[in-house]
Amino acid sequence: MASEDIVVGLEIGTSKICAVVGETRRDGSVKILGVGQSPSRGVRKGEIVDFETAGKCVREALADAEEKSDVMIRSVLLAVTGSHIGSLNNRGSVDIPEDREEICEEDFEEVQAAAREVSIPPANQFVHSVLQHYYVDGQDGVLNPIGMMGRKLEADFHIIHGVGTRIKNSIRCVKELDINVEAVVFAPLAAAQVMLDLNQKNLGALVIDMGGGTSGYIVYIDGAVKYSRCLAVGGDHITNDISLGLRIPMARAERLKIEEGSVLLGQSRPGDRVVLKDETGFSGRELDREMLNTIIHCRVREIFELLKRDFEKGNILHFLGSGLLLTGGCSLIKGIDQLAEEVFGMPVHLSHSHTVGGITSPFENPQFSTAIGLVKYAQAMQGEKPRGWFSRFSRKLRIFG
Amino acid sequence: MIELPGSAQSSTADLRIKVIGLGGAGNHLLNRLQRDGVPATDLVVLDTDSQMFDSSEAALKVLLGTGVAQGLGTGGDPELGYRAAEESAEEIRASIDGADLLFVCMGLGGGTGSGAAALVAAYGQEQEALVIVFATMPFSFEGERRRALAEETLATLESYADLVICFENDKMASTVSAGTELREAFAMADLILSQAMRSITALMRRRGLIHAGFAQVAAALRAQNARALFGLGEADGTHRALTALERALQSPLMDRGRLLSDVHNVLIHVAAGRNLTLDEVQLFMTEFNRHIGERTRILFSAAIDPLLGERLSIVIVSALGEPIPVEVAVPRRVPAHLEIKKAEPIAPPVVVEAYSPLVTAPLTGLNVRNVSRTAEESDDIHPPQRLPEPAQVQFEPATRGRFEKSEPTIVDGQDLDVPTFLRRNAKAGQGR
Repeated sequence: MASEDIVVGLEIGTSKICAVVGETRRDGSVKILGVGQSPSRGVRKGEIVDFETAGKCVREALADAEEKSDVMIRSVLLAVTGSHIGSLNNRGSVDIPEDREEICEEDFEEVQAAAREVSIPPANQFVHSVLQHYYVDGQDGVLNPIGMMGRKLEADFHIIHGVGTRIKNSIRCVKELDINVEAVVFAPLAAAQVMLDLNQKNLGALVIDMGGGTSGYIVYIDGAVKYSRCLAVGGDHITNDISLGLRIPMARAERLKIEEGSVLLGQSRPGDRVVLKDETGFSGRELDREMLNTIIHCRVREIFELLKRDFEKGNILHFLGSGLLLTGGCSLIKGIDQLAEEVFGMPVHLSHSHTVGGITSPFENPQFSTAIGLVKYAQAMQGEKPRGWFSRFSRKLRIFG
Repeated sequence: MIELPGSAQSSTADLRIKVIGLGGAGNHLLNRLQRDGVPATDLVVLDTDSQMFDSSEAALKVLLGTGVAQGLGTGGDPELGYRAAEESAEEIRASIDGADLLFVCMGLGGGTGSGAAALVAAYGQEQEALVIVFATMPFSFEGERRRALAEETLATLESYADLVICFENDKMASTVSAGTELREAFAMADLILSQAMRSITALMRRRGLIHAGFAQVAAALRAQNARALFGLGEADGTHRALTALERALQSPLMDRGRLLSDVHNVLIHVAAGRNLTLDEVQLFMTEFNRHIGERTRILFSAAIDPLLGERLSIVIVSALGEPIPVEVAVPRRVPAHLEIKKAEPIAPPVVVEAYSPLVTAPLTGLNVRNVSRTAEESDDIHPPQRLPEPAQVQFEPATRGRFEKSEPTIVDGQDLDVPTFLRRNAKAGQGR
């Protein structure tokens, strides 16, 4: 087993920090060797607000992962998220020089550079440019143009960008631990790698990753990333709503959300009460269950509705043959799939990591899909470039810092 | 320094200001000004293309060169623009008659603007008006040739106008994100120009405890091969002084204030309601001083404007470039009642890298009362007329719980950190 086959995915999330050590295999599968995690502090809405505290948590999570996997971690792939991440689609185009007819590698580089000549806010940097489709002399459906004859090469890219300094902050947080950051990956993009197989990507799928601080989505249509976005509202907001609405401490609200909360209304009998046991610093309470569920329902429905508005514009919902896949910690809330089905009007799967082998059983948990997805993403990067599904990704990943 | 008698100063509020929109770009800007409102200012549009008049909201429209251009425009030929202006010399003179201060707004690189601007400026000077040219550099995608023509026109204009302020269209639209309609990108440029013009007219027109007039503005903007900086910020609340400064500095063109460290003169103007305190001024000036170099001269100006209410407004005007030695102490054609504190050599063209802090409220009217250190008596204040306050998106302080101190998530004007059930006023069992 060569050491470069070991990949570590690190997600600095709002509620927990998670490091997944995985082994990528030639046959395209991924074996998880160990998962380290630590509760996250100093992170709000997917972004680091307390550098030192967050750094300590990252150290804990990585140490935990090292211990469990018996692997020394030297470099990681880092997931980034946050409201500053934006995306757009753009087409790059290059003319093949007169003296040659064959399209070669450098044309690909050039077409990608051309696609990046798009105005993004000055403070922003490119995170990904994901290849969607090639066109050779205006003809589409070209999967691999290298070696083909043509006068003009065009390519559509999905460009994801974010505020440079904020991305660098996350990177620095890891680098201070003397650990190299190989690449940064937009979190929902990583999560989608583990949740979707090639077939589902071709059919079209919507992946919504509802984490603690942010809710992001990725839309695949015709096997290519078509849309992505990040909304800085997540599970933390639900907890906050419960805490404010029912006047209970945050920590208690978090537990209540996990243990008792549901997004379904009208399921409880009138007068059904939730009993909160008294504990240190908190005298017991009885709460109306319907009120609790209403608070959660309102928030989750709102998040779905906000995301859905994006899709209504382009009539995207009709192109999603594989339906909606929900992941992230929030997808554990009871009844969330039913609510999502009601809002989006399409089949909803609560998808967990199923395309990886190894000691996954304890980790078949949507909370880990982003970190596991990073390993899967790295595998795709390692694969032979012009072939395999990874040809759809840009070979050059921006590495910051 | 030439100090004119006090009587001259008190009449600056009665300045007769005319704004000339020249050609297509000028016409668009005038429409914008008309909508934003510039009190007691005459707007005149001069164009060779009669079709442009349909969309014009200016009070006075003059068609140039009915003979040479036949109301069809110049087709981008400055020579034709020049001849059209020559032909309509009398009409132009009549339209600018009686102005003390003449703003000429035009887009460089075209036919009408580039051809006629110098003539219009010259006519203005004949009439002893102070001429300030607001010019926009073409977008870089419009091509090298157009830019070269623009540069050339700019060089000519400097000898005809008292101050030439040049805005880079590229820079003004740099804050526009991808996918923005072209119309919006142009509208952004117009908005910034409108803000800059209104700020500067405010500086010119208003009298305060300490006055900063044309001399100060020109001093701040005067530099060789200059790229001028303009920023405007307004804020209210506890930290309004620093917030307003932050917003004014937020210009990417100033590189968040970093470019200010190299300027030689900078004019900073603050206006607030009655409760502007010394503490506040000290607070933001201390902060502001961090952004400028040791040798930078600050032209400070402050104003009390009851109509601003609780808000505080900061305007920063400066230019980046080589300073021009003040050689002559001969004021040029200055209307007798125009307050002049300083000798006025011809101002060179100044390229303003403007920035519009879109998040802040637009410049409220023209009442940024200017106070400079030179002179003044406080009983001199009579609040000039003021436009209605522009609608400002105000987020009511609501319960945000643990997100109290974090960056708000705002979508469609709703603060998503506030619990949904509170915003939707949901009762138990009601989903929506």
